[in-house]
Amino acid sequence: MAENHREGEAAKTFDVRILRQAGPGQASYWERHRVSYEPDMNVISVLQKIAAHPRTADGQDVTPVAWDCNCLEEVCGSCTMVINGRVRQACSALVDRLLEQHPDEIELRPASTFPVVRDLVVDRGRLFQALKKVTAWVAVDGYYDRGEGPPQSQEEQEQLYPLSHCMSCGCCLEACPQYARVELTRGVDESPEEFVQRQAETYDRLFLGPHAISQVILFNSHPTGRHMSSLRLDALIAEGGIQLCGNAQNCVAVCPKDIPLTTSIARAGRAATVHALRKWFDV
Amino acid sequence: MARQRVMVVGGGLAGLSAAMKLAELGIDVDVMSLTPVKRSHSVCAQGGINSCSDQTRQAGDSEWKHFDDTVYGGDFLQHQPPVKEMAYWAPKIINLMDRLGVTFNRTTEGFIDRRRFGGTLYKRTAFAGATTGQQLLYALDEQVRRWEVAGKVRKYEHWDFLGPVLDNHGVCRGCVGQDLVSMEIRAFPADAVLIASGGCGLLYGRSTNSVMCTGSAVSRCFQAGAKYANGEFIQVHPTAVPGADKLRLMSESARGEGGRVWVPRTPQDPRNPRDIPESERYYFLEERYPQYGNLVPRDIATREIFDICINEGLSVEKGRQCVYLDLTHIPRQELDRKLGGILEIYEKFQGVDPRVTPMKIFPAVHYSMGGLWVDYDRTADGGLRSASPTNMVTNLPGLYALGECNYQYHGANRLGANSLLSCIFDGLFAAPGLEVWLSSRATAAAEAPASLFESEVRRQQACQQELIRRPAGGENPYLLHQTLGEVMTKAATVVRRNPQLRDALREVEELAARAKRCALADTGQWTNQNLVFTRALLDMFPLAQTILRGALARDECRGAHYKPEFAMPHLTGETTAQRRAEADAWCTRFDENNRRWLKSTVAVWQPREESVQLSYEDVDTSLIPPRPRLYGLVGAALIEEVWNQRVTAQLARVP
Amino acid sequence: MERRPVAASTDCRPFLARNEFLIRRLHSLTGLIPVGAFMTVHLATNASVLDGPATFQRAVYQIHSLGRLLPVVEWAFIFLPILFHGLLGLVIIRGGMVNTGSYPLIGNIRYVLQRATGVIALVFILCHVFHMHGWFHSELWLERVVEPLGGGRFRPFSAPSTLGAAMQGGLVIPALYAVGLVACVYHLANGLWTMGITWGVWAGPQAQRRANWICGTAGVVLGILALSALYGAMTVDVPRAVEIEDALYEARVTAHKLAPNERKRADAERTGRGGSRVE
Repeated sequence: MAENHREGEAAKTFDVRILRQAGPGQASYWERHRVSYEPDMNVISVLQKIAAHPRTADGQDVTPVAWDCNCLEEVCGSCTMVINGRVRQACSALVDRLLEQHPDEIELRPASTFPVVRDLVVDRGRLFQALKKVTAWVAVDGYYDRGEGPPQSQEEQEQLYPLSHCMSCGCCLEACPQYARVELTRGVDESPEEFVQRQAETYDRLFLGPHAISQVILFNSHPTGRHMSSLRLDALIAEGGIQLCGNAQNCVAVCPKDIPLTTSIARAGRAATVHALRKWFDV
Repeated sequence: MARQRVMVVGGGLAGLSAAMKLAELGIDVDVMSLTPVKRSHSVCAQGGINSCSDQTRQAGDSEWKHFDDTVYGGDFLQHQPPVKEMAYWAPKIINLMDRLGVTFNRTTEGFIDRRRFGGTLYKRTAFAGATTGQQLLYALDEQVRRWEVAGKVRKYEHWDFLGPVLDNHGVCRGCVGQDLVSMEIRAFPADAVLIASGGCGLLYGRSTNSVMCTGSAVSRCFQAGAKYANGEFIQVHPTAVPGADKLRLMSESARGEGGRVWVPRTPQDPRNPRDIPESERYYFLEERYPQYGNLVPRDIATREIFDICINEGLSVEKGRQCVYLDLTHIPRQELDRKLGGILEIYEKFQGVDPRVTPMKIFPAVHYSMGGLWVDYDRTADGGLRSASPTNMVTNLPGLYALGECNYQYHGANRLGANSLLSCIFDGLFAAPGLEVWLSSRATAAAEAPASLFESEVRRQQACQQELIRRPAGGENPYLLHQTLGEVMTKAATVVRRNPQLRDALREVEELAARAKRCALADTGQWTNQNLVFTRALLDMFPLAQTILRGALARDECRGAHYKPEFAMPHLTGETTAQRRAEADAWCTRFDENNRRWLKSTVAVWQPREESVQLSYEDVDTSLIPPRPRLYGLVGAALIEEVWNQRVTAQLARVP
Repeated sequence: MERRPVAASTDCRPFLARNEFLIRRLHSLTGLIPVGAFMTVHLATNASVLDGPATFQRAVYQIHSLGRLLPVVEWAFIFLPILFHGLLGLVIIRGGMVNTGSYPLIGNIRYVLQRATGVIALVFILCHVFHMHGWFHSELWLERVVEPLGGGRFRPFSAPSTLGAAMQGGLVIPALYAVGLVACVYHLANGLWTMGITWGVWAGPQAQRRANWICGTAGVVLGILALSALYGAMTVDVPRAVEIEDALYEARVTAHKLAPNERKRADAERTGRGGSRVE
């Protein structure tokens, strides 16, 4: 940790290097900030400090850095960013630990697999589009009272609960070598609705990602959810489906919620094959 | 008539349950949220959701008892019909959530497992590990996505609600919002606007709330003329983990599953907590409240922890206030199955395994019992009339408030695991009433004169321009917010004293004045978070004033609002006769206090004076007459006896 | 409300896109059967040279007993599947990226290696087939192009000697073969493991760890086999091999298992120059 001695008083500081970008299509650039150290800081509190005093290490006044966050306890999935080269939630990235790994400096970058909105804020719409593609919901008849839900064994619950923990943070997608970045821009003569439609269609053709594959297993294992399993498997074997997984298994390694993504992928792979065979030979 | 639409502001449990139910009724819905709805603050709720169940029923529980516990826990400061309706809906709501695929923990036979929560003697609380809020929200998020695909719901995520649009008759005809990416400001004509934007914990700087819980949407409605009720009732959760950026919640379920709160009898005992023998541990909640033990209602647990640390000097650490919350006697496997989520949070953020070492916790601001004033339509038997547009409507027709941001259910103190229930109940119950409201309208908002919306958009644009054009070098909004948090935390949390409240009110007014000179560090027109934060900060002051004024005016102790100066005494007499006389006096004083203070505080914003005007509204206690809330009071049994005699005598007098 | 056509029947997207799943599954399958299976047999056959030229030559006779059917079998079960697997593999590689810099995790490194070894294996196999067989059985092509470049060295009726001759006389070729073989073996063994995940044979982390051992062991065995075959080829005693081949040839002709082929003898004398290549 750098120690800046000023007239006898020792103020511990450390540097934060942030990859900034003013908006889509603009050039990105690195900016260095110097932050005074306090115990128990995490990357969010660092960014809060920078927002309160947006001045670079060499004393230039700049606009505050933009970033996403909400719950600050790693359940909302907002604050995904690449910290010291690795994607994670900023709220649970404790400064003490980061400085143990890389003394003096913390490096922050936006997730590279999603289009940058501004600075550390990215557009993760594609991630949610995949949830639509795989019908990630239980299609109940309606919301009137119809008594209890189907009974479930403890064992079933213990299998479903971890899968249901996915907070759509996008860490798995950032680390996945098969999930290529795509950035669309609205055409001059395109209405916002048309653009959204084109975006959805494009996303649907690209790899849907481990998070969505895992949701298929979640809902296909649910006693009522499984009624629509063939529809979900159709999505898995469509273009951009499970076949694009390359088994690098980075997803499971970076998942902040320890979701057994690769187990889901293997199970989904099996189900998808059986489903495809059945479609060719049984129907 | 053009198609009608409903705008839901906020995508937490209340907003999403309303959206999905409205969509089911065939109504077109827009959902506006600061964040993708899946990331709303409801995900932070941990412990569970209450309802009586077939099992608790056989132990003597009933919907009525759930209702009674809620009212008693809330110190009778809630209108009883909505609470009753909610308690009677609770089992149905859990069944529905179960059908939607919420991964509730199960018993060996496959039923939904239950745990015990504070303020009740029954195991009423259904839970999904220690992330129940997250699981419930995801189920609703999924349903709303389903309706989005079906074209009934449109989501406006990353949009900020700037205010309702009211017509000449004061009827809400839509709202104005701002896209937080492009900073575009536009109007959304809507035939009803549902505010479901949650609490306002950010008023206190650090709390257990998410950073988006600024209360800004509520404050903007308040400033537009909506009434705000019971603002002074802010729940301080007894167990949170102090942190630099946030006070992270440590769920009540930790105690529900057997967690014990203690401090070493020797102040700041330097030994490892595991080496301190039982005899040298002070399990103060268990000793002081033998019946409820660690599961006393939150306001009481909070005050006791506060008292142990501040007044008795028994804090575990010297420089920092905290007590032990101990789970180490519970088998690891059971902990992982039932509390995994919160233990991971502790481990991740504190670097200590709570399965091995007791956690260090301290109270933190958690929930606002108060909120926008809303109406209800009472039936003869004391429930709510279903499909009535009067339910949950604010004093501005067409503007509704659901979930934490209304004041309806929790009175002076919320019981654990009732908030998830109240949020989902609000959404489901309000929807049929809205259908009736829409059908009663002669014209659709989309057909209202464009000028109505345009002028509001222009006003908002002008406000924004004024903010952006302020000269550089003014006040720093982030530092002002920090100061506001400190002032509020000091004056309006666990223990409240009038001189402090008066000081705080003055300081908040000063801060509000300084905030008018805030300068933005970012004057751009693209994802300007600086602007959004500053605007939210400006809107915190009216609510802060409401809380402080309400607290200052209320000279009594009720639920979370505790003024030692007005605390009811313990019985100290030496002889039975003395104590009986004291109990009699106690009951008389209790009665008088209720006559004076068993009233909802109703605040109205006065834009000209930029101040709050308070009035008081009687509480409908027609179903369960108020009775003393005696958790742990010395002489409680005697007071109860005297009180019961009085009630019987009163009943005898009534012909 | 749920029924959305995922892929409409009047789909005008390219064939590859419409049948992405089928094609990828075929890619995965061909890696094991027939390509992986053939490679195992091939390596085992070649390793038999360690047992002496006669064993190897007999094994080659065994293969060539298919006669006129052999080219059909070769194309259907070897060349086309390898080309399909290899060329599609190149397309697949284009759809991925390398991020081992940020994520130096075992699985990720294996993912990159799988692609790298795939490319090496494809190049190696093309070179190897050129080196031994000259790709196409056209006299003109072989004489004008292949042979001047040092390819087309193998003669099935003189298998040990021509193989030995091709692999001897310098360390460059054996070294390149070693690299190619190791790449092929890694690609097969690791591919077997990922295939097990792709097809859902081993799903959970424990099962995948166990499968790792199985595939790893298979890889080591195959690797030993491959390097043994290479070593065997490098150490063939060519003149003695010619004698053995001639003896075996005569015996076969006498037993009417083989039609006399005059060019065979010439082959043997010149150790792999000219002569019959068409088998």
